[in-house]
Amino acid sequence: MKTEITFQTRREFLRSTLLGGAIAWTVPTFLANTFAAMELEAAEKVTQVATGRDSAILVILQMAGGNDGLNTIVPYSNDFYHRARPRIGLSGNQILKINDDVAFNSNLSGFKTLYDAGELSVIHGVGYPNPNRSHFRSTEIWQTASDSDKFTQTGWLGRYFDNACSGCDPTAAVNIGRQMPQAFAAKTPKGVSLESPQNYRFMSSDKKEPGEMTTEESFRKLNQIEMTENSGGTIDAIHGSATHGGSPLDFIERTALDAQVSSDKIRAVASRAKSDASYPGSQLGNSLKLVAKLIGGGLPARIYYVSQGGYDTHTNQSGAHDRLLKDLGDSVKSFVDDLKEQGNMSRVVLMTFSEFGRRVSENASSGTDHGAAAPMFVVGSKVKAGLLGQHPSLAPGDLFQGDLKFHVDFRSVYAGILESWLETKSEPILGRKFKPLEIV
Amino acid sequence: MLKPLASGRWNFTTAAHLVNRAGFGASPADIEKLVAPGVDAAVSHFVDYEKIPDDTTDPAWAKPDPERAERFMTARRAGEEERRRLLREEQQRQRQRMVELRGWWFERMASGPRPLQEKMVLFWHGHFATSVEKVREAYLMWRQNDLFRRQATGNWRQILIEVAKDPAMLLWLDQAQSRREHPNENFAREVMELFALGEGHYTEKDITEAARALTGWSYDRPGQRFVERPFQHDKGSKTIFGKTGNFDGEDFIGMIVEQPQAARFITAKIWKFFAGQEPADDLVTALAATFRKAGNNFKPVLSAIFRSEEFYATDIIRNQVKSPVQWLVGSARMLERDLPPPLVCFGLTRNLGQDLFAPPNVKGWEGGLSWITTNNLLARYNEAATLVQGDVSTLAGTIVANNPDVNRMVDRRMRNVRVGSVDVKKLFTEKERSDLETLIPALEKRLLQARLKPKQEKVLRDFLDSRKDLSEEDILTAVRLVMSTPEYQLT
Repeated sequence: MKTEITFQTRREFLRSTLLGGAIAWTVPTFLANTFAAMELEAAEKVTQVATGRDSAILVILQMAGGNDGLNTIVPYSNDFYHRARPRIGLSGNQILKINDDVAFNSNLSGFKTLYDAGELSVIHGVGYPNPNRSHFRSTEIWQTASDSDKFTQTGWLGRYFDNACSGCDPTAAVNIGRQMPQAFAAKTPKGVSLESPQNYRFMSSDKKEPGEMTTEESFRKLNQIEMTENSGGTIDAIHGSATHGGSPLDFIERTALDAQVSSDKIRAVASRAKSDASYPGSQLGNSLKLVAKLIGGGLPARIYYVSQGGYDTHTNQSGAHDRLLKDLGDSVKSFVDDLKEQGNMSRVVLMTFSEFGRRVSENASSGTDHGAAAPMFVVGSKVKAGLLGQHPSLAPGDLFQGDLKFHVDFRSVYAGILESWLETKSEPILGRKFKPLEIV
Repeated sequence: MLKPLASGRWNFTTAAHLVNRAGFGASPADIEKLVAPGVDAAVSHFVDYEKIPDDTTDPAWAKPDPERAERFMTARRAGEEERRRLLREEQQRQRQRMVELRGWWFERMASGPRPLQEKMVLFWHGHFATSVEKVREAYLMWRQNDLFRRQATGNWRQILIEVAKDPAMLLWLDQAQSRREHPNENFAREVMELFALGEGHYTEKDITEAARALTGWSYDRPGQRFVERPFQHDKGSKTIFGKTGNFDGEDFIGMIVEQPQAARFITAKIWKFFAGQEPADDLVTALAATFRKAGNNFKPVLSAIFRSEEFYATDIIRNQVKSPVQWLVGSARMLERDLPPPLVCFGLTRNLGQDLFAPPNVKGWEGGLSWITTNNLLARYNEAATLVQGDVSTLAGTIVANNPDVNRMVDRRMRNVRVGSVDVKKLFTEKERSDLETLIPALEKRLLQARLKPKQEKVLRDFLDSRKDLSEEDILTAVRLVMSTPEYQLT
């Protein structure tokens, strides 16, 4: 017996299949997930609790390229700092003082305002043991939350969904951009990527004469997957299908279905949301503006992911780094203002990360080379605002190969976010117990 | 060793596979032409491309520009406002050239006489991924592209040395900034990690020592070329890969190539690029042995790959996700249409996640399944309408720069661009155009060189059946629909 399904009738399909038997393993992600949820006979409830309108939202902001932490949160009164950075060290009107020891880079005035309002925390000296100085490897370590000598396929957010939200919809995680971050990789992948809602659809313009099939109808049918009921399959087999377990064709077919479902939904949400908020015209500004729109429109997503690139400042760092930080501070400030206007700020926490900090000493090109520990920022109305952790020592004897030593393992930060903000156990997601940092 | 393909297996399907992977696809008629001569002649047609004359001319500006340094000088000395104006003008000039350069390369890929050479240029560009975002000069990007073309299937040591001395690379990985007192480690690290050995096959100490060996290799800005500055070279003793000596840059690169891992690393990557899958360990051993036997030259390795049984295995054929460039160039070739104007080609591939001359980072494009996200898949389906029906609405809102003014300007220009559409009469015979039972197989043969699922064939038949007169427009819509399937994203 063959059962043909369309998006519009998937609920009926699932009901009938539940009664009739299990489905083949090539089921698209969202169906498998929804199916798993229905197995618990509580599909509606699970989906609501896990991704419902009132749940907590986490926004991840990646600062790609390795942000120079020392010129971001500046230890301005430290002699070692100025000795190591005679040309690019910051002082005077280039900084906004936090206390007698450290200051924001003056381009982060947006962050300073949030800090003063008790809505931003700075976590000093975040890193991990045996730091890797390769962009790709270190990014991978942050995305998968693995030890630096271990390789993990799935991402920490992917594992969060695998563990805490196996029944949720593809739009539970939204990446603004073209490429899916590795942090989303999961046993049963979740999440969609998009750049702009208006282009996020199948476009066709033909008019239908009586009896004719439109391009869009034909397209939907061409991109359906033929479902064959398979008495040999089990629900466990569905759970077991890994990210790239199937063929490339299976993967594209699943993505095609996820695209159709999420396209209908995201466009509906984005068209509902009205916003007059102004943001910097940068890519980051646009990304955060779209995230605010989707939150305001009520998209039931728990995780949003945005990124800002350009932090790999080996050469003539000052101007470029200042512009990036200004864009960062102003964009995040606009985002917070927008969410407050919407009344959604209390539901949102934003966390930044970068794959590593940079070498303490400037190089011969007035830039900095790849380093290790650096600060992270967490923004939200419920965060423990202020300075957390201990600033790493800059004394030459305290450095490791010229780099700062970390005090806070980034996985403690993840654990804190998972436990206190997303309210889920961190151990199954991070692989072992990390002491959750009290941030929220 | 690699097994040669059994002659009985050389047919339309395997010939199409060769054309799609060693080149950028072709019309059914051109694929047929390669079947009769046999696999050896077909492979030789691709690999021995030097025999085919190539009279493509270089872009007019593709030469050193001694006035560029002067223009910067003038700008630096000028007042604030004038300085900004001059710099803006220079930026605008470079941006325009980059659009031309992309168009020039796309044209070579789509209609040049040597498809494998261009495919290898694309491989090297993804491998030595250098971005104009940092290099900021079209001439230098062209020059690196030209190096990849000259050395497309050449000798590994030679390629690495030329790349290390290539101006765009000197700027991209900061070798231009390296000084004896402060060696810059960027190139030393990436040449081992990403270009030649892979993680785990060198130590952090090897990097700092190699960076010292490379000091003195620098960039002559006014002359826009590589320069060796002996007084910047660290002549002291260095220890790399456990050997000690007064090594210089060429010594270091020679030592890399001698590492047993070097042959495995690069041949495995070539296999993955052409076959679409990670090679098994014993296959890597065989490829590396072929490479060593051929004196670290790539051409014999490519020859062996394209003649091998392994390359035509059933799980290799039609199982590779098309890169956006392959998608665009291949589609134009299968549709027997001209490429759209350079600006449109740029927008189309960029929307799909591949911006030539601007890879996301020095690791290049990840490729494979990562090309497929919900967003990019919908974009591919919509861009099919651009190529087939000339619909440019899909390009609205293309983000080409961080600067919103530039985006608005490009958006305006895109709206007025004519893309042209496909000539149905060229693609299908009169009989095919009037008879569904022959049209659908012809669509499949042209666009997929394979069949759709029976259910999908039925949807196409139902769609065309419901259109009363089977007009050219209806057939074009059917072409666009076949391109809007998961199957079409594979090659």
